[in-house]
Amino acid sequence: MATTAVTSAGIASEAPRSDFGRVLAQRERRFAAALLAPAFLALMATTTFPLLFLVYTSTFRMDLAMPFTNGFVGFENYQVLLSDERFWTSLLVSLVYTGSTVALQVVIGLALALLVMDMKRGQGWFRVIAILPVVLSPAVVGMIWRTFMLAPEFGIVDFLAINAGLGSKNWLGDPTLAMVSVIAIHTWQWTPFAFMVLLASLASLPEDIYEAARLDRASAWQRFRRITLPLLRPAIVMVIIMRTMVALTAFAAIFTVTAGGPGTATEILNLYAYRKSFTELSIGYGSALAVALLIVTIVISGILFAMRRAK
Amino acid sequence: MSGQGQVSFRNIVKMHGEFAALKGVNFDIKPGEFFALLGPSGSGKSTTLRILAGLDAPTAGRVLIDDKDVTSTDARDRDIAMVFQSYALYPHMTVAENIAFPLEMAKLPKAEIAPAVRDAARKVKIDHLLDRKPGQLSGGQQQRCALARAIVRKARLFLLDEPLSNLDAKLRLETRAELKKLQRSLGVTAVYVTHDQEEAMTLADRMAVFMSGEIQQVGTPAEVFARPNSIDIAGFIGNPPMNLIPARYVDGDVIVAGHRLKTTSTAAGERDVVVGLRPGALRMTEGGLGARVDLIEDLGDTAVFDLDCAGTMIRMRVSDGNIPGEGDTISISARPQDIHLFDPATRMRL
Repeated sequence: MATTAVTSAGIASEAPRSDFGRVLAQRERRFAAALLAPAFLALMATTTFPLLFLVYTSTFRMDLAMPFTNGFVGFENYQVLLSDERFWTSLLVSLVYTGSTVALQVVIGLALALLVMDMKRGQGWFRVIAILPVVLSPAVVGMIWRTFMLAPEFGIVDFLAINAGLGSKNWLGDPTLAMVSVIAIHTWQWTPFAFMVLLASLASLPEDIYEAARLDRASAWQRFRRITLPLLRPAIVMVIIMRTMVALTAFAAIFTVTAGGPGTATEILNLYAYRKSFTELSIGYGSALAVALLIVTIVISGILFAMRRAK
Repeated sequence: MSGQGQVSFRNIVKMHGEFAALKGVNFDIKPGEFFALLGPSGSGKSTTLRILAGLDAPTAGRVLIDDKDVTSTDARDRDIAMVFQSYALYPHMTVAENIAFPLEMAKLPKAEIAPAVRDAARKVKIDHLLDRKPGQLSGGQQQRCALARAIVRKARLFLLDEPLSNLDAKLRLETRAELKKLQRSLGVTAVYVTHDQEEAMTLADRMAVFMSGEIQQVGTPAEVFARPNSIDIAGFIGNPPMNLIPARYVDGDVIVAGHRLKTTSTAAGERDVVVGLRPGALRMTEGGLGARVDLIEDLGDTAVFDLDCAGTMIRMRVSDGNIPGEGDTISISARPQDIHLFDPATRMRL
């Protein structure tokens, strides 16, 4: 009798408790949603909506110079785009620009990280100095390079070139040199990011496996090839993915240094879309170019992410 | 074996700033010997091993391997294999790749590597795990993988840095026995660092006992157990450790808690000494030193008593089943050859 009483009392108290738990969980969820909402709405308003509007705009003919021709054209902008030679050139420039700068960032960043890891003193200072370019605005970086570094005769780079016996070069006027210059500028600004990530990764590698490798008679190069590089692989791939996405959509630095010139030598896809939209005022076609850039970025990121998962 | 595996340390000093980790260490290891470096944490035994491996450089002194001075030779040129306390397996490689690594570095042909890897894995019974990564192995399996990586190369010296300390008690006992068999079958010189005196006693052919940066005694486990050189070693070796009792020496006898015990010493005169008595060397006899039984720890085949001899705590181990009750008063004594005498000032054996 006593047992039944206890049991039934137990059940009686059990039911409301689980009910209470459900109510609590629901309240928790509602509170979480309320916390999330402002950020979510702001993101929707500032990223998702403009993106969708961009796709929508790209299906229109929207020429501010010739408003009388405006109207819905479906995929016509994309058909034009596929046979537009300047689009393909700018895509190629984008890929060359991105490929070279990301490769340089990873190689130089890794080399610096390995160098700094071996520094007994001054690591902290090195980190602080190294991070400076990253905190500058790309537009400011562009201005600094155009005036202080690359200006003929007076710029530091040109001064060094003259003293090295190479003679004064038209760093931003020659198509090839201009491309090299904008790649160098982007690399200069963003290598510290790769450096910081890879340095942190390097510092987290256990010391004892390097001692084991030394006793296993691995040379310094073999230790790097067989141990450091494979263990850094996740960090390197992550740096490549992040830097590729940014480099593909770079704008401000190139815009302030060459504005895509000379001619279209440094006109990456992003700049072409900008020029079409805001210089030539073909908003519809510019939007189609921007969507194309979006697709290229997504495809390349997808490939990189797939490669990351592969091993 | 590619070498003989003879090791000599000559006056090795290691300073960490002002702190002397090693204060002039000397010892010799014979080829094929299982040599243990035993001592409490911070006594310098691991530092000694790292200097022998070439991972750290000594501040002063010379290291000789097979009569060749290797003091300034890099670790990779010393032909030494080592098992780390943390195992130090390459996390991104499979067990097979881990074991193959030293052979690949030695530029062995691929056709020879595969059978050598299988052979080494079989010796430590992990040949069914070759495709796993270290992260997928248990602690014991990782330890075996580290062992296999060390033995695959047939180096002239085999160093082990507390290899059993991360295993659970049962596995530790099993692996200990296997380790000894493995070393015997390979015939390789092994240097083994441990803070566990039982491990050193059971494994080593000879051992060096470290105390605060110095070697206090080198000898076979039996020698060190039978004739500890100092109070510190006497208190460190043996389980339970030796009873160390301040006493007075008078013409060949010692007076412990008011009772006279005969020693083997024949020197005349009087002085203060520390008397060392192994718990297992004490006997219950008539007319000995009176002692009250405070506590009995019965371990089944043996029992350890905490005895109170007029205020002096003495531990005694009995294995003949003749166990008194707690609170009883018994009478104990020791044979003269079982009484160790130490100098309380120098802490050394008299």
